[in-house]
Amino acid sequence: MQEYKRIDISKDQVVPVAERMRREGRYLVMIHGFINNDGQMDVSYDYAVDPAIESYHVVGETVLPSIGAIYDTAATWPERELNELFAVEFEGLDTSKRLFLPEDMLETQGKGQIMVMPLSELVEKNLGGDGK
Amino acid sequence: MSYIVPIGPYHPALEEPIHAKLYTEGEVIKDAEVFVGYNHRGIEKLATERNAIQTLVLVERVCGICSHSHAFTYAMCVENINGVEVPKRGQYIRVITAELERLHSHFLWLGIACHIIGHDSMFMHIWDERELVMDLLEKMTGNRVNYAMITIGGARRDIDDDLRRELLSACQKLKGPLDRIAEIALTDKTIAMRTKGVGVLTREDAIRMGAVGPHARASGVAIDVRKDAPYSSYEDFDFKVHTVDSGDVFARVLVRVLECYESIKIIRQALENLPEGPINLGNKLPKIKEGQAVCRHEAPRGQLSHMVVGDGGFNNHRVSVHVPSYKNTPTIPHMLRGNTVADAGLIIASIDPCFSCLDR
Repeated sequence: MQEYKRIDISKDQVVPVAERMRREGRYLVMIHGFINNDGQMDVSYDYAVDPAIESYHVVGETVLPSIGAIYDTAATWPERELNELFAVEFEGLDTSKRLFLPEDMLETQGKGQIMVMPLSELVEKNLGGDGK
Repeated sequence: MSYIVPIGPYHPALEEPIHAKLYTEGEVIKDAEVFVGYNHRGIEKLATERNAIQTLVLVERVCGICSHSHAFTYAMCVENINGVEVPKRGQYIRVITAELERLHSHFLWLGIACHIIGHDSMFMHIWDERELVMDLLEKMTGNRVNYAMITIGGARRDIDDDLRRELLSACQKLKGPLDRIAEIALTDKTIAMRTKGVGVLTREDAIRMGAVGPHARASGVAIDVRKDAPYSSYEDFDFKVHTVDSGDVFARVLVRVLECYESIKIIRQALENLPEGPINLGNKLPKIKEGQAVCRHEAPRGQLSHMVVGDGGFNNHRVSVHVPSYKNTPTIPHMLRGNTVADAGLIIASIDPCFSCLDR
């Protein structure tokens, strides 16, 4: 079974942790995000400290520093995705172009709707009440 | 003369939709951009309204090539959250399916690469040999694409003694065709001229951009989840992680050919030492305990990771799927620079991209 270690950190520790991981030659597996049961944004930075995953969580923050200067596209792509799906802002990140969501959806619905809004409401908003 | 050359999102040289903009001086690519998201199906969103068994069916449909890999990785996450240990025989069957999937994926890619190069007889030859692997998958799982071999807590179908013997003999039969493919792929002048020194990604750039799988290994980065963080009994098997230093398209061909031999080796060991016992823990629909897990699997194209959050109910609170093409696609502009427009299709294809996986 692959080991998963959760470590909670503050927003200020995101960059120092990324710098330390880069120095140690650790691989950034992914940056994930979800809304927890308390309704707070939970962003996790998962590093491969083989054979385990060390997952550094920042809870309750919707503005975070970008680690793109440290991990290049391995960080900027997931940061851009989290910006589209959850409207998390990453300071210093270029979000002028869309990544996964269609431009018209971003224009009409705004960022952050797709993962936050219940599926039934999302369908209604997109397709009208009857889902057609 | 400067041009902007658009490729895709729908283009004969691309099997799946991606849009690339090439900024050229004459025929030489000076810069490039890639745009994705033409296949976004909202799978992660759908997963939040499904239970664990329904999600296995859903995530298998993220991709038509590495479908088993998605179900495998998702199941590992739920098993980790619930603290469930898969029976050893179930682990081995998962590995056998995964390695057959790697074989068919690498054969498929080698064929497509030959097609783009213009070596169509080789393309047809490789795909003909690939049928042997597809037949084995069909025989073992009942399906050619979505195998449905995974359940939470193990495998869904057993391998009986007859099938075991048949699979072992097929492994022996596969070696001959693979030797022939390897000989042609690695010695043919046309293939060498179209691939050597083309689309180079250096070791430093591969590490900096977080490339994974055969793409990273072809740039000399020895990264492979099966060795770095063994799971599902991979530590029981003797196999090598092959790396090549040149970082060009030829290196990507070479690494994938060598990996086919390793997959056959793993399948043989798993079949010869298939443990006795149950293949799963039963068919009861599991609740997903409150908790979170990230699991990694070495899919044919590289490291695949799933993140699952459970809240104690039957449905997922969140599923996040991150595929090898997520890490490898951003390296495309870097590899295109300095090459000619004629090589763009081959360079894009050389990472073995899967945009269905990437977009989800």
